[in-house]
Amino acid sequence: MSRMLVDFEQIQKAKAGDGAAFNQVVVAYRKRILGTIARLIGRPEDVEDVAQEVFLRLYYSLDQLRTPEVFEPWLYRLTVNASYDYLRKQRRRNESRMSDLSEQQVMMADAAAGGKVSGEEQRQKQVKELVESLLGAVSEQDRILLTLKEVEGLSLKELEKIYAVNENALKVRLFRARQRVLNAFEATKASDSKPVDRKD
Amino acid sequence: MDQWNDELNGVFANYRAAVPDPEASANFMPELWRRIEGRRNLTIRFKKLTQLFMAAAAAMSIFFITMLSVPAFSGSDDDSSYVDVLAKAFPTDTLASHGILLRDAEANTK
Repeated sequence: MSRMLVDFEQIQKAKAGDGAAFNQVVVAYRKRILGTIARLIGRPEDVEDVAQEVFLRLYYSLDQLRTPEVFEPWLYRLTVNASYDYLRKQRRRNESRMSDLSEQQVMMADAAAGGKVSGEEQRQKQVKELVESLLGAVSEQDRILLTLKEVEGLSLKELEKIYAVNENALKVRLFRARQRVLNAFEATKASDSKPVDRKD
Repeated sequence: MDQWNDELNGVFANYRAAVPDPEASANFMPELWRRIEGRRNLTIRFKKLTQLFMAAAAAMSIFFITMLSVPAFSGSDDDSSYVDVLAKAFPTDTLASHGILLRDAEANTK
């Protein structure tokens, strides 16, 4: 949320129902929103679907936007809400099916294909898996909050605008979420460095 | 603890680099507009259904108001008093059939 990608006039036009202006707003922000969603939900195959949901909600809620100055926090709030809805649905889906064979098969295929990917790709894959497992230690809300702060690099002031809660409440929540992730990280590191018992 | 914190920061930074902003597919905008139109049509249909329901409710209200305001045909009892109507509805023999017996004095007054 560093600088506005469209001018206020464009937002005003889109708000007034100008389809072309709305198109321009979407085109200007979609890459940034797609990236944020990709890092929030961690499933590349569903990123576009969630992004379209964000812009759909934007289209139907633009008339509630008081001033163009609050457009970006507004858009991020819609992104957060859509990602949260997605993660919640995903969790319910995962709970309803006890074992996900297809996912296992995909992982096995990935492992088999491991030799073909470059060292850098392999490393990136490991980082993604590590972060996914670490963020699994916290709730969906905390996962989103933590990702916005630590990965997207949003400031507390920006988060305050998005969540419409005071900075102290956010600090407490972030601290607790980070502690949980840190504990999970330590546990992962400890289990990685533990020597493997061998039975001869 | 600081060491773990620093390492975790490094992991988050690497994650940011490992998941770059993806490019939207060519189908992104057409699909978005299709969804917008779909939602709009749904809203219009819902609005029409609501209007239909409101019209039906209004018509039923008018019908009931008309029914209540038109005086019902009541024959020759129009000018009779409440006591007369009551006496006609519950004559002493009707009361007797229900096992209610009036004392003589009361019966004579009827």
